Amino acid sequence: MGSLFFKIALVLYFLSMLGYITSLVVRRVQVAKVSTWVLFSAFAAHTTSIIFRWVETGHSPVTNLFESLSFIAWAVSGIYLIFQVKTKTRVLGAFVSPVVLVMAITASARLVEDAEIPAILMGSWVPIHVMLTLTGSALFALACLSGIMYLVQDDLIRNKKAYGFSRLLPSLRELDRINNICIVAGFFLLTLGIIAGSVWARNVWGSHWQWDPKQVSTLISWIIYALLLHQRFAIGWKGRKVAVLSIVAFVILLFTFVGVNIFFVTVHNFI
Amino acid sequence: MDIILVGMNHKTAPLEIREKLSISCDDDTATFEKIKKISYINEALYLSTCNRVEVLAHVFDVAAAETYLKDLVFSHGNLSSEEMERCLYIYRNDSAVRHIFRVASSLDSMVMGEPQILGQVKDAYRRSVEQEATGVMLNKLLHYAFRVAKRVRTETAISNNAVSVSSTAVELAKKIFGNLRGKNALVIGAGEMAALAAKHLIGNGVKKVIFTNRTYERALTMANDLHGDTVSFDLLGEALSDVDIIISSTGAPGYIIDEKMVAAALRRRKNRLLFIIDIAVPRDVDPALGKTDNVYLYNIDNLQSVVDDNMKNRINEAEKAETIIDEEVAEFSRWLKRLQVVPTIVDLRGKVESIIKGEMMRAGSWMKNLDEGERENVEILVNSIINKILHDPVTGLKEESENGGANPYVAVIKKLFKLD
Repeated sequence: MGSLFFKIALVLYFLSMLGYITSLVVRRVQVAKVSTWVLFSAFAAHTTSIIFRWVETGHSPVTNLFESLSFIAWAVSGIYLIFQVKTKTRVLGAFVSPVVLVMAITASARLVEDAEIPAILMGSWVPIHVMLTLTGSALFALACLSGIMYLVQDDLIRNKKAYGFSRLLPSLRELDRINNICIVAGFFLLTLGIIAGSVWARNVWGSHWQWDPKQVSTLISWIIYALLLHQRFAIGWKGRKVAVLSIVAFVILLFTFVGVNIFFVTVHNFI
Repeated sequence: MDIILVGMNHKTAPLEIREKLSISCDDDTATFEKIKKISYINEALYLSTCNRVEVLAHVFDVAAAETYLKDLVFSHGNLSSEEMERCLYIYRNDSAVRHIFRVASSLDSMVMGEPQILGQVKDAYRRSVEQEATGVMLNKLLHYAFRVAKRVRTETAISNNAVSVSSTAVELAKKIFGNLRGKNALVIGAGEMAALAAKHLIGNGVKKVIFTNRTYERALTMANDLHGDTVSFDLLGEALSDVDIIISSTGAPGYIIDEKMVAAALRRRKNRLLFIIDIAVPRDVDPALGKTDNVYLYNIDNLQSVVDDNMKNRINEAEKAETIIDEEVAEFSRWLKRLQVVPTIVDLRGKVESIIKGEMMRAGSWMKNLDEGERENVEILVNSIINKILHDPVTGLKEESENGGANPYVAVIKKLFKLD
């Protein structure tokens, strides 16, 4: 049942992406409104599939890379839907939905395999740790996306090319605001996630912190995000600089997520 | 019975002539009365705006009506006949239809794609209706025109982008700030363009406009006109920290806003975005600011080039609009041709119905033996036979009329059925 709902979600994600992109081309809000409902149904189907998977496998649905990707895709679309309600910038959907779709498709490649779960991942702190950090990452992904859009829009306006493509993007202020909200919320969740992880680490490895490459890399990302928040709130950075930094920080976070397992030996070798 | 359109617009007549005409035509109802009195005119619509004066009419005799309408224009405008010949255009039938479609769709406007003209045409039509000067023909024609205008607006991007410097400035400001509610603007100098841009900003929700000028009184005058505030020119540097949009148009020979001033202001305003529009020549704002983070600088040439691009875009869209208009003119002309056979069809049906009536009367003597229900059934039977028989010739007549070949058939039907 879980995989059936996941397939339904995939199809709906695809349809909502087509809808959002069509709405840009034909410039009809109505099409974007329909796409939002399609995306909402996709999100509902995805939620159902995650719950089914949790029940069917008997362990939390975030124990490997593919499950995590699926979870992030789910979180990104959920967070976007909240933004949609709050900000009414439907145009963002055309940029978010392809990202969600790519993550969901990548996840679908190996999602059906029911791999052996290491005993270490059976504790109740595991889903808390993973879901907090992954939702945080999803927020950072959206911050990065809005940062990229900010840089593009900034460049277009600055270089007097503020027609055509530029009119498809939200205003600079809106993009900066989305970036800000995502980073504040993401940082909060990531911090809680790291704390939950260290509690769990003490249970399984005996100490709160192992200086493992994965942990160090996460710490670096965390510090960059902390720095970013400091610059914004204490120094008064806005716009371009924040956008650049949020993109850099997300690239490092991505490296933490997949790169560390490839280039380093880590005890944190499940995701 | 023809449709004609007599008029002049900004392309054919210089302002002085249009002025004369529109001032003397100011009393709309009086003009209308005169138009209605022309006996050759069946229905009429009178449209007068600052860029055009036009009379659209459905007439019995084209030549005569034209002469009378020309006379009317002539006596009203105090024009020489030579002037009038040069400025006046006259369209008949399909070209008159096309012209009114183009006018309503804003393709014939001075600023192509501007939205006001449709409202003006609608007002003119409403007045015509109130004066009972419209009938089948103009009602249909104007409703077609409104539909065409709607199609052009939704199916092409003709009125999408700003084509004036001040509306472009507002559009850019919206790209930066989203909506302009709660934003403050600073207007430096007293140029007419600056005032226009300020008006546009206020119209788009800007909270407060502050005026400043080397001559304080001039700032005060502008502030009074536009319900704004003023600030002394010496305090310009400080004023930069509280505003989001700056419009500068002074006659100063050098830069009055430089990097140092803006850098200091940005620190005070915690890098909130700043949009500077420099419409002064020579420039008021150091162009180096174009590279400063969180500052967006546009000068008059930048704005003008956006306007030019948008205008080019409108011209492209106008081509699409012309295709729509071609379609609709053809569609209207089919309706018009069908209309020509309508009297014949009505006559034919009338004759048939009178035959039925007569025969029913004559059959009354034996029909009274039938009960209510049976009598009704007989009537239904007779009517449905007649309708079946008439269906093919009537459809055929309509089809022929759309191809413009209905006249011989009309003649034959009239002759055979003795319709005259």
